[in-house]
Amino acid sequence: MRALHGIATLCLGLGLSLSADPANAQPAPRSILVESPVLTSGDAMPRVYTPDGRNLSPPLTWSNLPDGTREIAVLCSDFGAGNPPPWVHWIIYGIPATANGLPEGLPILPETSMPPELSGAIQGLNGWRRPYYRGPAPPAGTPHIYHFTVYALDQPLGLEPGLDRQDLLRAMQGHILGQGELVPVYTRF
Amino acid sequence: MTDEQPRTISRRALLRGAGVAGAAAAASAVGVSAEPGIAPTPAPAPPGMQPAGAAAPGRVVYEQLSADEADLLEAIADQLIPEDEHGPGAVAAGAVVYIDRALGGALSGSREAYRGGLAAFERYCRSSRGAPFRDLSHVDQVSALIDVETGAATGARTGFAGSSGAFFGMVRSHVLQGTFGDPYYGGNRNFIGWDLIKYPGVRTAVSPGLQTALEAGELEPNHRSAYDADNFEKAVVSNARKETHHGD
Repeated sequence: MRALHGIATLCLGLGLSLSADPANAQPAPRSILVESPVLTSGDAMPRVYTPDGRNLSPPLTWSNLPDGTREIAVLCSDFGAGNPPPWVHWIIYGIPATANGLPEGLPILPETSMPPELSGAIQGLNGWRRPYYRGPAPPAGTPHIYHFTVYALDQPLGLEPGLDRQDLLRAMQGHILGQGELVPVYTRF
Repeated sequence: MTDEQPRTISRRALLRGAGVAGAAAAASAVGVSAEPGIAPTPAPAPPGMQPAGAAAPGRVVYEQLSADEADLLEAIADQLIPEDEHGPGAVAAGAVVYIDRALGGALSGSREAYRGGLAAFERYCRSSRGAPFRDLSHVDQVSALIDVETGAATGARTGFAGSSGAFFGMVRSHVLQGTFGDPYYGGNRNFIGWDLIKYPGVRTAVSPGLQTALEAGELEPNHRSAYDADNFEKAVVSNARKETHHGD
């Protein structure tokens, strides 16, 4: 766990994800501080945010958004899974710039609306092609690292529902003012 | 977010996945002894297995499933095809009765998969959500089923034999058969499934008038099993006695 924590700390210090996101090809985005009352980079995620528990989406907060932020997007990816990696656990875009985080337990039912403060936000398609959060379920005994990445965008992108990670990264290219990560781990026993 | 969400309309998505065009024939290969539209006949419970009806007079008596298994399977079926503004769902259609009867016949090879899978599913609900499936909130029931369907419940110390997704796929397939198959096989009670998808029923001869009505979406359902037609023969398989009538 100590080694994983070191990796996560290094990534956060550089303000970069471990991915080869197109975002990294842009001018260095400003670092956003991503936090959670329940998650800590390098520490184990509580079971309630995994299928070993209720599999709720975890609460997140962010601060230090760049000036001119008009919209926000969030991805949760596991770069140690997927073919090709990463395996995407969660994708949300169209988050109003006025939002300062995500509450716990965003909807999994299609009839359930987003909270008012997230009006207009859309959950895109994760690795299971489902429009909601599904938490970590790595093979037993193998710790995996989960990147909760927050992107600050320079304009509302007006994206439609049903986008996956590649669609979103393509749409965000050239519009990312800043980004930041929270990188917890999870091991299944 | 609250747990008390309105019931989801999973039915339409489920029907899209099932392919409604073939639904009427979904159970065509299954032969069990239940007759269409007739309440199942109570049968003696095997040793060590309590019939579901024993504790609740007036309920359906299951022949293969235990009371707990039947209750759980009904709750799962009710999530897969719930009663909603479109009409009754899988439970009212007798999908679980169909499965129960079929497990004593053509689906007997799946009996252990049900026994082990339902027990594993219940253990998973208790360990992950802290309560039996039937006691969970609607959103937690949906969430648990998603985790089983995606295979995320596999390896969660619940005892699924293989992927939890395989168990989900089996149950889903059989619930569809029991809801939309020919009522002859014990499900699709009162043609609930066929009415749901607006299937007008089997016609052995189609006049120009019927064809016109069909194309206009005005063909009234005939509410007849394919086996009500004289020119269809029945392959009957029962637990007590296997016999085949084949007249064609």
